[in-house]
Amino acid sequence: MSYVTIDQVTKKYENQVVLNDISITLNKGEFATLLGQSGCGKSTLLRSIAGLEDVDAGRILIDGKDITNLSPRQREVGMVFQSYALFPNMNVFDNIAYGLKMKKVKNIKSKVAKMIEMVDLAGKEESYPHQLSGGQQQRVALARALVIEPKVLLLDEPLSALDAKIRKSLQKELKRIQKELNITTIFVTHDQEEAMTMSDRIFVMNKGNVVQSGSPTEIYTTPVNTFVANFIGNYNVFKMDTFRKLVRSTELKGDEVAFRPEVLKLLPIGEESQDLQENWRLKGIIKDVSMTGNILRYEVESEDFSFHVDDLHHRGAIFDQGTHIQIILPKKECLFL
Amino acid sequence: MKSLLSFHKALVGLLVIYLLIPLIGTFLFSIAGKWDHTILPESYTMKWYIELFQDERFFDAFQRTLFLIVMSVGLSIVIMLPTIFIITVYFSKWERLLQAAAMLPYGIPPIVGAVGLIKLYSNSLIPIAGTPWILIGAYFITILPFMYQGIRNSLRTINAVQLVDAAELLGATKFQAFRTVVFPNIISGILVSTLLSVALLFSEFALANLLVGGRFETLQIFLADKLNSSGHLTSAIVITYYSVILLLTGTVLKLTFKNEKNPAGKKKNRVLSLLRKQSRDKKFALEGENS
Repeated sequence: MSYVTIDQVTKKYENQVVLNDISITLNKGEFATLLGQSGCGKSTLLRSIAGLEDVDAGRILIDGKDITNLSPRQREVGMVFQSYALFPNMNVFDNIAYGLKMKKVKNIKSKVAKMIEMVDLAGKEESYPHQLSGGQQQRVALARALVIEPKVLLLDEPLSALDAKIRKSLQKELKRIQKELNITTIFVTHDQEEAMTMSDRIFVMNKGNVVQSGSPTEIYTTPVNTFVANFIGNYNVFKMDTFRKLVRSTELKGDEVAFRPEVLKLLPIGEESQDLQENWRLKGIIKDVSMTGNILRYEVESEDFSFHVDDLHHRGAIFDQGTHIQIILPKKECLFL
Repeated sequence: MKSLLSFHKALVGLLVIYLLIPLIGTFLFSIAGKWDHTILPESYTMKWYIELFQDERFFDAFQRTLFLIVMSVGLSIVIMLPTIFIITVYFSKWERLLQAAAMLPYGIPPIVGAVGLIKLYSNSLIPIAGTPWILIGAYFITILPFMYQGIRNSLRTINAVQLVDAAELLGATKFQAFRTVVFPNIISGILVSTLLSVALLFSEFALANLLVGGRFETLQIFLADKLNSSGHLTSAIVITYYSVILLLTGTVLKLTFKNEKNPAGKKKNRVLSLLRKQSRDKKFALEGENS
């Protein structure tokens, strides 16, 4: 039984389609991510669920209740904004208690205290937003959204304004809290790595459409088209006729071929250990090499085609620029799209 | 580094002197007895002030001016605050129109505006020509740019749209969101706009003279009338109403300072930041008075 249903939702700005007939269903407690480049409609979809944008067609249901035409305050959703949107005139305690006061709930003090503990902000109750760091502000925003016990938690790129280290630790914490409360969560991001670490399910969006949905592994290993392949995995994508020339094979079908940069192996010239039944072997030259820490990223050229190869960074095993090498491409890792 | 700092200080000092000299000169002239060919007055007297404070016309004029200011500034806040808020938050595409409208008063010289208003209302069904009410209407327009800029900038600074979104998602109605989240954060902006407007209207002469003139003698019309009889007396008038503005500004700022004081306000840096803000506001208001 689906908990959140987005049924054929369409939204247009003037004549531009921002959301094109989108249908999504989520189960209770699921952590779903809307992933896409800026302008793909992911934030608009999130804001539509929150009631901050009207939709032109379609329905949105939460827990069996049609909320399409309800005002934001009646929807029972919590939202965290990219810029936090904390109330500058209130301290941490009052910010978190705001929703409870508006709903005239009892036991405000104990509920807020519990929430403050959960987001690890004990001792900061009296501080004002401008006295807190970005990470702390985001925790307050999260606590403020969660304390009213919403049915769905909406997160609009909540971590993108933070630096890498704090982002990583908040990712973990967010995930922990989400599991602890078992709250259905919709997360919006443009960062595919963040989407993969956090999500139970990813919806890849492009130009107002959901182009693919599935678990992080599914999305990463079997992208349905070249857009997803390029966006999610930095795939090497070739037109089929050029690829046929490259591997000297005529039996291949499909329009395009895609393979991930980490499935390729580089070997020095002369070394022969790979099975040629299962691999293609190409000759090439290293055009460029860059290091991202644990990964070595080569740009390799073979017969005027260039592509990326990722290799784990083993000490001393770096091919220099200009080195002639063999490239081993396992056939089963190629996706024919 | 150090020489640069003292250069900056010297520059600020020069500016302060430049702004204060006319004020000090006026003050000295208002308490001067004989002052012909010396740098400072030869003798001092309070007789100009005594004469002024015994003149009932002065108090009447002062009251009229205050009445006009309170009415027009009050009306402006009551009408413009919700208008600007609603347009910025819900009808942002109309913002340009409002902005253009708010800038119009700059483009129309008071004389042109006054003549136009007299023509328009002299045979109008709304019989306000020659009464203070037409002046209140004109003043409302005069201070529109200040009110608009001040309120809109405050709304922008706090990102009012998103704060309202957040409050609504937490269960607040639009009105509750405005009252609890937006208003407390823009009050200082409104205050600065108000003080600027008050200072501006205190010294408004052209519109008052042309639209109502002697029928409703305001402070500036009284001042212009006295200009012919005694320079000392007019100086005393100017200094008196400057003091009133200063007193008003100080009180209002002090009051809001007290209001903003909250539990965490006791912490040193909060107080410091408020003090800094307060002195900045004060300077801002003073500049307005001197213009």
